[in-house]
Amino acid sequence: MDTLDPSLAVASAFPYTGPDSLHEPVESALRRVIDPEVAMTIVDVGLVYGVAVSDDLVNVVMTMTSAACPVADLIVGDVEAELDRVLPPHMKIRVDLVWEPAWTADRMSERAKAFMGW
Amino acid sequence: MLCVAGLLVASVIGGLLRAGVAVPLPGDSAWPGRAVLAHAFLMVCGFMGTMIAIERAVAVKEPLAFAAPAASALAGILLLAGLSFAAAWLAVLASMAFIAVNVTVVSRQRAAHTALLLIGAAAWLVGNLLHALGAQPAAVVPWWFSFLVLTIAAERLEMTRLMRRRRGAAAALYACLGLMLAGSAAFALSPVWGGWLYGLSLAGLAAWLVSFDIARRTVAIRGLSRYMAVCLLLGYGWLAVSGLAWIATAIGYAFRDAALHALGLGFVFSMMLAHAPVIVPALIGVKLRFGGFFYLPLIVLHASLSIRLFLGPNDFRLLSAGAAGNAAAIAAFVATLIGAAVAWRVQHSPSSRTRHAIPVRH
Repeated sequence: MDTLDPSLAVASAFPYTGPDSLHEPVESALRRVIDPEVAMTIVDVGLVYGVAVSDDLVNVVMTMTSAACPVADLIVGDVEAELDRVLPPHMKIRVDLVWEPAWTADRMSERAKAFMGW
Repeated sequence: MLCVAGLLVASVIGGLLRAGVAVPLPGDSAWPGRAVLAHAFLMVCGFMGTMIAIERAVAVKEPLAFAAPAASALAGILLLAGLSFAAAWLAVLASMAFIAVNVTVVSRQRAAHTALLLIGAAAWLVGNLLHALGAQPAAVVPWWFSFLVLTIAAERLEMTRLMRRRRGAAAALYACLGLMLAGSAAFALSPVWGGWLYGLSLAGLAAWLVSFDIARRTVAIRGLSRYMAVCLLLGYGWLAVSGLAWIATAIGYAFRDAALHALGLGFVFSMMLAHAPVIVPALIGVKLRFGGFFYLPLIVLHASLSIRLFLGPNDFRLLSAGAAGNAAAIAAFVATLIGAAVAWRVQHSPSSRTRHAIPVRH
């Protein structure tokens, strides 16, 4: 599977397909990528729509809260760098930035919502 | 970027000379005089407009989008070269190009905050058109500030979506911003009505931002998040001061310097100080190490602005000293960014791009 269907996304985590052995390392890696202003991980903010891992490819589908955000490339770079640290050397990383479905606050984790006073 | 930095320096020198600060300059140059006369044009169109347009061009990733900041920066240079007519109309073209970029943003994401960014760009165009057509500064400057305030409000609105929104919050924001645009337009007919509407809208917006921005929550987090929140909250305070000063000026008190600079320095520059540690790496590809030293220029800015705006009206020497402190704060902030970039390089060994990332055009 080369790309993920963003509509598969759920409220507070992200859909994962691939070997179980890589699930935890990939999720931990993504949880090390921080939105600097709110000091929350991109997983807690709900920016990760899904991850699909095949034999030689990790495909991350994610969004940003704003299409006018110039920091998108930096965050994508951080995602690539963190995944790079945990993946076997032969695996490629592909990060797709999508705008549909649009991010909403419903995607935030319970922990993030609690911090923001929901 | 060097060109933008040069426009900032020229604009600051123009502001210092206006405030009566003796700046050592070559005696045979004509540009300082032009910088004095066109301080607002250089600061809003030449520097801030260019920075905002670069930020948006980086976000949309279309090479043509860089035409807007290139045009606004060139407009600043033309003005300093004495070609004020060409500069004024080039600024009009820059804002038209910037509107086109924002239409692209809205087409990618139809949301309230992207729509506000587009309206902000339109306010810049109105201000630039009035300026090019020879309108009085009193009628032009509110439109230029509306451009900046709408842009900031849109970016903060995006972040407030992380908070639970109370019923009526969005309507209250749109009412404040609508009032600001009405005030901007009213200045051409009646400075008194314009001042009242504009001042009320700024004070209302300050109250809205304090109530609904995430800053009141993120100030509890240590590190960069707290620094950003402190900048934001201080900026909102100055926004409220500015609103009151616009109203006081409309009534007849001599608070025009406070109205303009509580807004331009207290609010807008605070927002720039807040966002720079995150935005600068995205704009120029240089990573920064955050540290407590970021607070130094912030303290200098707010202390000097307090002296300028609260004590300056009664003593011109204090106004000048405050203005010099404002310039020192900006210089200290540039030095802080350079120091933070060096600190990051020292801390990190030469990093490579990831071993196996596939480049994707986003």
